[in-house]
Amino acid sequence: MTFDQVIPDFGEYLFGGFVLSLIRVALLIAAGVFIGFLVASLRRGPVEGFYSVAKVIASSVNDLVNWSLRRTIAMASLAVQEAIRRLVLIVFVVFVVILLFAGWYLDTQSENPAKLYLSFVLTASNFLVVLLALFLSAFSLPADIKNRTIYTIVTKPVRAWEIVLGRILGFVTVGTMLLVPMGIVSYFFVQRGLSHDHAVEQVAAVAAGNVTQTGETTFDSHHRHTFKVYDDGTGETDVVKRHWHTVTKVGEGDSATYEFGPSIGLLQARVPVFGGLKFKDRAGADTSEGINVGSEWAYRTYIEGGSLAAAIWTFEGVTPERYPEGFDLEMNLRVFRTHKGDMEKGVLGSIVLRNPNASAKIRRSEAITFTAKEYVSDKQTIRNNIRVVDQEDGSIRDGQLFDLVDDEGRLEVWIQCGERSQYYGMAEKDVYILDRDAPFIANLAKGYAGIWLQMVMVTSFGVMFSTFLSGAVAMMATLSSFVVGYFSTFIFEVATGAKEGGGPLESLFRIVTQQNVQVDLEIGKTPTSIIQGVDLVAMMSMRVMTGMLPDYANFMGTTEYVANGYNIDGTLMSIQLLTAFCYVLVVSLVAYYLLKTREIAA
Amino acid sequence: MADQVAEAIPSLADDKPQAESNVVIETRNLSKVYRDFWGRQKVRALKALDLEVRKGEIFGLLGPNGSGKSTTIKLLLGLLFPTSGQALVFGKDASDVGKNERIGYLPEESYLYKFLNAVETLDFYGRLFDMPADVRRDRVNELITLVGLDWAKRRQLKEYSKGMTRRIGLAQALINDPELVLLDEPTSGLDPIGTREMKDMILRLRDEGKTVVMCSHLLADVQDVCDRIAILHQGELKELGRVDSLITVKDMTQVRAEGLTKEAEEEIRAVIAKHGGKLVAMENPTTTLEELFLKIVRDSEAKPGRRSTQKD
Repeated sequence: MTFDQVIPDFGEYLFGGFVLSLIRVALLIAAGVFIGFLVASLRRGPVEGFYSVAKVIASSVNDLVNWSLRRTIAMASLAVQEAIRRLVLIVFVVFVVILLFAGWYLDTQSENPAKLYLSFVLTASNFLVVLLALFLSAFSLPADIKNRTIYTIVTKPVRAWEIVLGRILGFVTVGTMLLVPMGIVSYFFVQRGLSHDHAVEQVAAVAAGNVTQTGETTFDSHHRHTFKVYDDGTGETDVVKRHWHTVTKVGEGDSATYEFGPSIGLLQARVPVFGGLKFKDRAGADTSEGINVGSEWAYRTYIEGGSLAAAIWTFEGVTPERYPEGFDLEMNLRVFRTHKGDMEKGVLGSIVLRNPNASAKIRRSEAITFTAKEYVSDKQTIRNNIRVVDQEDGSIRDGQLFDLVDDEGRLEVWIQCGERSQYYGMAEKDVYILDRDAPFIANLAKGYAGIWLQMVMVTSFGVMFSTFLSGAVAMMATLSSFVVGYFSTFIFEVATGAKEGGGPLESLFRIVTQQNVQVDLEIGKTPTSIIQGVDLVAMMSMRVMTGMLPDYANFMGTTEYVANGYNIDGTLMSIQLLTAFCYVLVVSLVAYYLLKTREIAA
Repeated sequence: MADQVAEAIPSLADDKPQAESNVVIETRNLSKVYRDFWGRQKVRALKALDLEVRKGEIFGLLGPNGSGKSTTIKLLLGLLFPTSGQALVFGKDASDVGKNERIGYLPEESYLYKFLNAVETLDFYGRLFDMPADVRRDRVNELITLVGLDWAKRRQLKEYSKGMTRRIGLAQALINDPELVLLDEPTSGLDPIGTREMKDMILRLRDEGKTVVMCSHLLADVQDVCDRIAILHQGELKELGRVDSLITVKDMTQVRAEGLTKEAEEEIRAVIAKHGGKLVAMENPTTTLEELFLKIVRDSEAKPGRRSTQKD
């Protein structure tokens, strides 16, 4: 997994993106008022139109003042009862049935079975719950209007606001009632699916330091471990398929047996601590980025091997209190080879820890060599006791990790590629320190919270559309809003012309006539400008649409963190929470005005 | 009870100005045109209706199907918006939600949630009036007893007969002890006993000082209970006035007597002839079918198992 999802600083988000969104919302409201005025004046003339718009605004203030929690809860519990009557619990049964049969198809031979299991349960829950929210919210209000049960509601002192909010609250309650057991069942499903036992296949006595026995486990769940036992009777296996077991020796001599503990490391929530990245070019001069090795994704830049080029990460807050025994450094470096070299072996490189303080007595550690593992994470354990280079005589001696940390708790990590004409590729978030793991269950709960937020947004869009569209149409509209929101990054790229091949009409034309996307259209000036003119309008509206709909893919992206065993960042959670809250607020405001200004009995 | 409700709903007590006029409903030039999707005119459902309904009266809206009765009621409730003109309820615009605190509405068919039972239904509507739980509980029990559904109060409404649905519909309209009750076809689908009970209920509401507006095409029902009526036809007001003065045929006298001999009858005929009148009918009077049916049912309830027969 790459952390290419840019998480802004919360403050940056709040005063950048969020304030910008507020301005957009204000513009939207102004546009809404103006459209309302236009419609009203078309019907009754400008004076009457102005009067009726003013009346609606005044009465919405009145509605807000008279807002009643009891009424809202009454509407919400009615929605819950209605949903239960419509047998939504079937969805949970479907989920359990899917899980029952999933065990047959999930490939436990995978190198990372935990990721497979987790992404499966999370995706299944996500789509089921979103689908449920879609159906519940889009059909409820239109059914009430069609059956005219709404007549007995709106002739009571119920405000349109309470109907909208009650519906959203009710369906969210139903969704939550389903999502929570889904999460619990998922946890046990993953737990059970991944748990396995080993027994001893062979064991031999050795005498190497404090290791007394080494051996091999049986082949279970498509893998086996080697293990070693220390003189105190405890031991451990090696890491295979991202997990290991503890070993306990019971008994002595020939009658000794070995017990293996449950797997460790499969279900984890690693907490990466990122640093800032800067570069040295091949001559050793400072530069802000490395080399571009071709038309590759610009996310990573490269440093040349066998030169002075280096990538330098500066980590902050490296204190003995936080990392009493040192830390693990995780690296996801890419390799770009200009010649084949030895394909069986990785490309050699070195890590040097440096003190950012130029006047420090000890300025750098001894180089730690490693082989870059392409495409998988590579973990380097940096212990507290470390070999350092004495600044005065250049001798290498034992030192302490924290000798290399300056007074402000900063530490530099220099990575260099050791082989000539080979390159290392990296981005800022490719190398990070691992903090102490967060509890996995809490992380899973955070993943489900991301799904929950999507459900809340889909529900409010559904309720909004159902205030003025009939059931099936409202559902299609909600579904479209979800799909467009889900692909909003792509659609935005098309709309801004960042994707090659032009707008929708031009692309269609190119597909049909099989024209290359990178050359100009070969149909003459006038037809081209007509096609591009139509596309311009389409692209403008696409751009507006993507700006208004939530980026659901972003929300789903957070579940990927859980599947890949990374802790979901608190900032990301808060940003998503705030984003979802704003969407719900604005969408229910729109729904309120749509419901308030429509003729219920028409 | 009524006091408790008034406490629970502040606007009930506060909004009422001391010098409020007797006019509860007022429509001024009220018109409604139904349009299609393109804004083209489809039907002129109501044409320039001017009406006033005063406090404490039973007002009937009469007319054949499609005459604009239901449209008027829906305009008064704010379920429809007028094309032009105004509908005022308690002096406020009909689109104002606040007026609903003082209104009870029984729709044409009781559009209720079929999956709730009677108690849940009334409790739900009570909550919509923001009534506290204890007030609600008392009021629900009171109303269920009033409409005679104690025996079926825990059954889901989907199991209810038409008559029972109508009763629970009436109960939900009265949950807030309204000052104004709007009834759309209150007796439709009811059997003769149900019809009579509904009419008694309407009269009782008036006796409690409430204003009742009902619309119906069943003339007999309207005649029995309404103080004043408006007759609508094709969206236009045709007649408006007091029922007793509207149905009195001023130039006709009906003579009914019993225990007269043939000679006495001849004598009366002679008297009428002497005054220049023309005898239209003089015969043994018959009771109405409704009365007869009610009598039979009452007799049969009083003496179960015995077939009731008419004397002589």
